[in-house]
Order: sequence, then structure tokens, then C-alpha cells
Amino acid sequence: MSGFKRDRQGNAKRQEGFSKPAPKQIVRNALTPMFESLRDELDAHHDRRDRIGKASRDITALSKKIIFSLQRVREIYERLPEDIQKEVDTRLAEIAKLLASIAPEVQGINRLRYARSLVCLEELVEALTFHHYLKTQTLITQDSLTAIIEDLARQGFVAEDEIMANAEAGEGAPNEQQASDQQNKIPTIGLTDNDYLYGVFDLTGEMMRFATTTSALSGKMASSDATGSGRDIVRDMHELGTFFETLPLRAGNRSTWEKKLEVTRQSVQKVEKLEYDLMVRGSERPKGWVPDPSSADQPGSPE
Amino acid sequence: MSKSKPLIDPSLFDQLRIKIEEDTAIRKDLDKIIDDLTQHVAYTQGLLSRIHSTPRSKYPDVLLPMVEEGVRRETEGVKVLGEFAGKLSYYKYCYRWNRAVQDAISTVLLTTWLGGLGTEERKGEVGKLLGLEEVGAVFGVPVNLKDRDAFHITIEDYLLGLVNIVDELARLAMNSVTLGDTEMAVKISGFVKDLHAGFQVLNLKNDILRKRVDSIKYSVKKVEDVVYDLSLRNLIPGRMEE
Repeated sequence: MSGFKRDRQGNAKRQEGFSKPAPKQIVRNALTPMFESLRDELDAHHDRRDRIGKASRDITALSKKIIFSLQRVREIYERLPEDIQKEVDTRLAEIAKLLASIAPEVQGINRLRYARSLVCLEELVEALTFHHYLKTQTLITQDSLTAIIEDLARQGFVAEDEIMANAEAGEGAPNEQQASDQQNKIPTIGLTDNDYLYGVFDLTGEMMRFATTTSALSGKMASSDATGSGRDIVRDMHELGTFFETLPLRAGNRSTWEKKLEVTRQSVQKVEKLEYDLMVRGSERPKGWVPDPSSADQPGSPE
Repeated sequence: MSKSKPLIDPSLFDQLRIKIEEDTAIRKDLDKIIDDLTQHVAYTQGLLSRIHSTPRSKYPDVLLPMVEEGVRRETEGVKVLGEFAGKLSYYKYCYRWNRAVQDAISTVLLTTWLGGLGTEERKGEVGKLLGLEEVGAVFGVPVNLKDRDAFHITIEDYLLGLVNIVDELARLAMNSVTLGDTEMAVKISGFVKDLHAGFQVLNLKNDILRKRVDSIKYSVKKVEDVVYDLSLRNLIPGRMEE
């Protein structure tokens, strides 16, 4: 504790003729015991919120890194480039451990009590929906995504006492050897509707960024259909835009919803403009222009 | 594969739409229930404002019976709310009714402090502060639930409700002197100081509770000024002969 000075030898200097009252001395009265018991409850709540918030910040950072890795992908294809998939897997393993560490704290009534401290889930949804889109060119449903995230939290729980190598082996190291009834007892974290919806809102921004880079490098809009006759990313974004426009307004947090919707609208318009540019000016490309062979622009694995 | 599978699973839209519509319907119903409760709370608060012009001797006959009737309406409102909200996730909607419930708690705390709401085992007396559990008992709802998700009164609700009455009491200290009841002012002074010390026991974070608790010191100052004025003029009972 501070409160007094020390001499050169490090011994506390006593102030002469002035005795301070002992710090933290509380004048007790009839109400003190009640407040003390309430304090203990409040402290427990604040501590828990802090722990969740800390893990949440880390999960957000990791999710952002996953998204950055995924933005280096150059085509929609069912298998991601190996180095990127590996990066994603290691980060997911870290996220799994973090999720597992806070899962016991957010069971039952506490799930929504600390929903605000768990904003990381929105970011994680963004990363995972983007991951799913790049592989399949579809939007993962809320149910499937919830199952994936719940599973992730359980895996993290298992990984904690098992060997780390398991997690690093990547590709969601199968933990099926664990009895499934035991799996169900492990505390886990699911998604709320808001986590999912807001995450998907943000997905449109990532899709826009992805469409911009790939179209600049390859000269055409990304699509999982190599022949060019299937739907491309612009049509997908239109569809997502319509999806959100037609959903009824959320009564609760209208302003967040509208803000996100506006950003989505802008993203859609940006890719529209891109496609228009490709159509009109694409024919003006100099003869002999060849698109960059995809993924050739990647300087190996960064970091 | 992209041809066979659409971007968005067709069932997803309806699934989300239904959820949002349900949510909207719940909010509408809640609004009505909370509106009713707010009415009762405002009515009771209005009745309680008479403390500033009613001498203490008239509390039991004139003031308290009416206020107790107001509180009874409040408890009914809270009961309706509790029944409806009991089926919902507490923390999903609680911010909608927190304010109304906190104000209701305030009226109950103030009424009992004035000696109202006496029961068989607990006679009404001036200066009585109800604890969290006792407040829950008045409303007939659980408090500080941790193990299950249902309607309840939280610690924060109680503390915020408690902060609310401090300002009212500080005002009463002044007005009771005007009504010739200096003893009441001294009583309030002691209570407000105890409360102030009590709130300092808490480790508050930078949140709404902290903000509101910070305002207590002004009430303490107000009450101290009144007591100072009284003691300067030897108007405090029991000390007059000195």
C-alpha cells in the first residue's frame, strides 16, 4: 500500500506528530452488515463481467485475424488454400479454449446478463459465416452455426486438459472418442438471434471486400461456378440485401439495426459498381492482358 | 454445387421473421403492463409528496392508509408483470421495466421508513429500512435470482431504489423543521449519514449506480445544513437544556 514515504534504505518513514487513521476504517452502523453482503454479491458480478470481457476481447481479436487470413483467399472453392486453412484452424483452437474458459460463467440466466460483454460472438459469427461462404458460396443457417460454436466451446474444454497437439493437428481434431453423454454435460455457449443477425450484417462488408480484391486481380466476379453461368457474388449480395430489407424491423434496438442495414446497402452498391465497371470497361483491357493466376499474389504465409 | 444450393436456406428467413415478430408482440404486451405499473407508481409517488406538508402525528390516520393503498396497487402491477415476464428471459427485457420497478421499490422503502406497511410481526415505525428480501416479500416476487431464469428484483434495483429516497428525505428534513418537527430532521440526518457510509462500503464500477450514489453527498450536505441551523439556535430536542 502507498501512503507513506521510504528512506534510502527502504524503511518506512514515520511522520512525526501526525498519526493518520488506519486506512479503510469504516465507521460501522446498523446498515453496514447489509451493505457488506450486497458488496460481496456486486463484486462477484463485476469480477465475472471483467473475466468475460477480457476473454471476449481476445476472441474478437482472433476472429479479426481469421477474417484477415480469409481475405487472402482468391476464389470460392470447397477447399481453402492449405496455409490459410491452417491459420484459421490454429486461431479457432485458441478461440475454443477461450470460449471454454468462460462458458461456465454464462450458463442459464447469466447468458443474457452478460450478453453485452459477449460481443465477440458477433465477430466470430462474421468470421465463420465468411469462412463458410468462401467454401460453399452459401449462407450458413443459424442452427448449424450455433451447433458449430457450441461444439467449439466443448472442444476447448476437452483441449484444456488434453494435449495441445490435438488442437494444432487442425481440421477440428475429432473428439468423438469422448462419450457423447459426457459431451452434453460440458458447459457451452450458444448464439442469440442478435449475435447471428449482426454477424451476418457484417459478413456483407467482408463479401464486398472479397469481391473487390478478386475482381481486381482476376477480372471477373467471384463465383464457385467456374463456367461463369452460375450466380456470382454480386447476386449473392443482392440477395442478402433483400433478405435484410424484407425482415421486419427489430423493435428493440432499432438504431443498431438501421445503422447496420445502411452499411449493407452501401456494400451492395459498391459491388454493383464493380460489376458495372467490369462489364463496360472490361472490354477495353489491352490485348494480351491476363488475369493474375489466382493465389499467385500471396507472399507465402505472413507473420 | 452452387446451382443446386441457394445462397440462403429458404427456411432461414421465416425462422428469423417469426422470431422477430414474436419479440415485437412481447414488447407490445410488456409496454401495456409496464404502463399500468408506472401509473400506479406515479400515483403513489404523488401521495407520498404530501409528507412535506403533513405533520408526523397525522401520518397514521391521514397519510399512511392512502399510501398503503397505492402500494397495494403497485404490488398488483408488479404481480401482473411478474407473471408475464416470468416466461421470458429476464435479462432480455428487464431494461424495459427496471425503471418502473425501481421507482416502486422507492415508494415501498419510503413508506416503511415513515412507519407504514406494518405487519403482524413487524410493527410500523419511523426510521425502518427494509432489506432486499423484505422488499421482495412486499411485492411477492423472488430477489437476486442466480440459479434460474425468472422475474425477480436484483440487487441493483434495490440499491437504485434506495438512492432515490435519499433526496426525498433530505427535502423532508427541511420541511419537517418548518412543520415544527425538529426531531424528525435529526432522525433523517442520522439515517442519511448511515446510508452514505453504507454506500461507501460498496466497490462501485463506473456505471449508473456509481453515478446515482455520487449524488447522495449533496443530500448529506443538505441535511447537515439543516441540523447545523438547528443546533446553532439550540432547537434540537434533548440538547436544548445544554
